[in-house]
Amino acid sequence: MNSHKLEYTRQEMMAIATGRELRDGELAIFGVGLSMLAGYFAQAHHAPNIRAMTEGGVYGATPVGGLPWGIECNRISANATSFTNGVDALGFLVASGRCDVGIIGAAQVDKFGNVNTTGIWDGEIGDHYRAPKTRLTGAGGANDIACGAGRVLIMVAHEPKRFAEKVTYISSPGYLDGGNTRERYGFIGGGPSAIITTLGILRPDPNTKEFQLDAYYPFSNIEEIKSNTNWELKVSPMVHVVPEPTVDELKALRKVDETGALRKQ
Amino acid sequence: MPQPKLISLATAVDRFTQNGVQYASGAALPIGSDTIVFGRELLRQGRNQLHAIFHCNSQQLNLLAGAGAVDKAECGFSGLEVFGFANGLRRAVETGVTQLEDYSNLAMAIRLLGGAMNWPFVPATVNIGSDIQYRSAFSPEEYPSTSKIPMITDPFSGRQLGAFQSLQPEVAAIHVSMADPLGNAIMLGTEWSRFELSRAAKKVILVADEIVHTDCIRQFPNLVRIPDIVVDAIVYWPFAAWPQSSPGLYDVDEDHMRSMNKALATEETTQQYLKDYVFSYQSHRDYLDMIGSEKREKITQTETSFLMDPYRKWILSADEIAKLVLEGDR
Repeated sequence: MNSHKLEYTRQEMMAIATGRELRDGELAIFGVGLSMLAGYFAQAHHAPNIRAMTEGGVYGATPVGGLPWGIECNRISANATSFTNGVDALGFLVASGRCDVGIIGAAQVDKFGNVNTTGIWDGEIGDHYRAPKTRLTGAGGANDIACGAGRVLIMVAHEPKRFAEKVTYISSPGYLDGGNTRERYGFIGGGPSAIITTLGILRPDPNTKEFQLDAYYPFSNIEEIKSNTNWELKVSPMVHVVPEPTVDELKALRKVDETGALRKQ
Repeated sequence: MPQPKLISLATAVDRFTQNGVQYASGAALPIGSDTIVFGRELLRQGRNQLHAIFHCNSQQLNLLAGAGAVDKAECGFSGLEVFGFANGLRRAVETGVTQLEDYSNLAMAIRLLGGAMNWPFVPATVNIGSDIQYRSAFSPEEYPSTSKIPMITDPFSGRQLGAFQSLQPEVAAIHVSMADPLGNAIMLGTEWSRFELSRAAKKVILVADEIVHTDCIRQFPNLVRIPDIVVDAIVYWPFAAWPQSSPGLYDVDEDHMRSMNKALATEETTQQYLKDYVFSYQSHRDYLDMIGSEKREKITQTETSFLMDPYRKWILSADEIAKLVLEGDR
């Protein structure tokens, strides 16, 4: 590992590692913020024919003027080839099973890839529902993507409070209780294929569906990742170092991230 | 013969809403087109105990909830995307002022689709297996909930599906880029669920940034996703979505998005916001002055303005519109 100051940020590494998961030609759905940057980075770099859409139904667009403020922002409405609607994008193209891959974020994620974006409670919610101490953004379209997309990539900052043994509230399902519990619900989508963080990449064990450490970055290490994960994180026998961003990758990412959203921390 | 349906904003709120009304906003959510000015007028006329049905949160729900006017809300996404958490809604939920029933964004859209079809429910395999299904803010004692999204069996395959209760809001205010005086409307940008909502709601009020001649509508009938026959009234209000955006017309006002959300974080600063930006204007002219000419100049320099080009020659003048509104308000 280089001891000199990094030429890129942890967030940029996370976005590039996420983008590398996307393949040319795939039908893909991105949320706002980080996930959009990762997706459009892939399009600008190695997946020019990716078929991207937003959940409100914006097709054929690439952002202008920097990171869009939202998925219906004018920054992503200035060069679209089709505007439709939510039933179309999230229903006809995601819930139907047509969408290959989706990227979602998480406030909290657990060892089976279940995501909480709804709220932070002091302790368990209990049998009687009560409002959270801190209300977050709700599920949005992420639940629909988690149920319907062929595979799902979860992007999340790697901090202990975000990595729980079990999330307090499942906003978007991963593998639920692990094993084959997901099959009980007949979701057409395959579930999360990776949790990509600011420190490394976790992937599910094929049988138990428990997420384990698959790779770390040139600037992170296994112990650091374990100490930032609030469950007994298993390490894959195949664990390896993720290659650093190339010059071309950084160039492509920073072209998409014109306003430097990923370089602020 | 269809008749012009233009009325003033004040008349629309007075005529179509009352305390406790089930009110839906038609928008490109959460930070795009929205009838935010309709929400301001609801507060100006003292409407409260609202049951808000928003596909997603927006600054409108953020404002209404922050002002304490929303008892119940149903929505998918409840934040403000890159502008962060919705402080007004969040405060109302955390303090128990607003009961927020969570769904996903597809769930809200298909519930409106079900309302439009007059079906009792719509089946789907989203939201099931998660706490969106198991937890209900409207029936908090029921856990796991079996009444919010009950499981049903597909009579053909035997497969288990979730049943989503249809929505038919009592009144909807739907933001459109342009409408003719009869209520035929064109939306630029994504519709989200405005198409479904226009057929699901019992009363439909359009809030339009521009009014165009019916010749424009006849030139682009395929783009007219909301025809006059489902519309009860039209309100003409340029910059109706401010500080949010309206594709083809104006960009998001980034400064006000932030300062508004910051103000809604506390009761005290919300009162100041209401004084400065809700109760402060007496006319549309005042409203434009409140936004400021420099700011309007800036946000109308949008990269999307070419989207309006095909329609510009049919835009009616403010004087022509004013005459129609006078007749409509009678």
